[in-house]
Amino acid sequence: MSRRLDDLRELLADEDVRSISRRYFVSNGFDGTLTSVGVVVGSYLSGVPDGLTVFKIGVGAAIGLGTSGVWSVWEIERAEKRLEILRLERAMLTDLDDTEIQRRQHGARRINAVMSGLGPVLGVLLPLVPLLFEGSVVTLRTATLASVGVGVGLLFTFGAYLGDLSEQNWVVSGLRMGLAGVVVALLNLVLPG
Amino acid sequence: MADVTRLVLDLLKPHDPDLVEFSNGVAESPSVEGLNTTLIETDREVQNVKLTVEGDAVDAAEVEAAVEDLGGTVHSIDEVTVGDRPVQERPTPQDRR
Repeated sequence: MSRRLDDLRELLADEDVRSISRRYFVSNGFDGTLTSVGVVVGSYLSGVPDGLTVFKIGVGAAIGLGTSGVWSVWEIERAEKRLEILRLERAMLTDLDDTEIQRRQHGARRINAVMSGLGPVLGVLLPLVPLLFEGSVVTLRTATLASVGVGVGLLFTFGAYLGDLSEQNWVVSGLRMGLAGVVVALLNLVLPG
Repeated sequence: MADVTRLVLDLLKPHDPDLVEFSNGVAESPSVEGLNTTLIETDREVQNVKLTVEGDAVDAAEVEAAVEDLGGTVHSIDEVTVGDRPVQERPTPQDRR
């Protein structure tokens, strides 16, 4: 158990593993948040009568995007890491099956897949939270606006995090990502359906 | 049979794990009491490393297995010291140019 924890700690400290996981997390989190904003605004405009129904629709989207995130990355990383091993095997003129390298790649792949699934699940679910208070505390209109606000805030956080990480202006970077949430909400208002 | 006290190996390893992790990995072998790894040459995908291990009774097969488990391959065993008395390599007439 402690050996496994040590291995996990080592993998999490590996910049390659962190970098790839970060990309999947933010990229899929971005997709999830925009989907959530789209579902919330679209549901309101379509006349869905209560927040709980919108929340349930959103949970369906979270399950779909979360599964897609884990599954696709599991397969993508299987191919990429296999390619990496084959390149190394050609250079080393040896078989690298069942070595520390292969075990580490397997662990890295798991972390990549989990982070890839976690991004959209958080991205979809967090903006849906205000809808749970519809009826008891707020109206559907207010809950919808609050959901869009949470979505934009979450997108801002993704952007600010990336900006801070890459030593850019985190406010500008956050605003750039947050703007996408506003655009999706406006597109839902403007476009028919 | 006398015990091996020093083993010098010429080996090839990938860049990852790096030299520190690689050395720590080999040092986990129970028969190894100390070791030194020296980078001889670095290529695009691989590194050529000289590994010197010492111990009271170094198990060569165990060291080789540790190297392979870390993704390395042993090119050759370049030096072996056996027994209680430390013996250094002696120059021979063939060494003169």
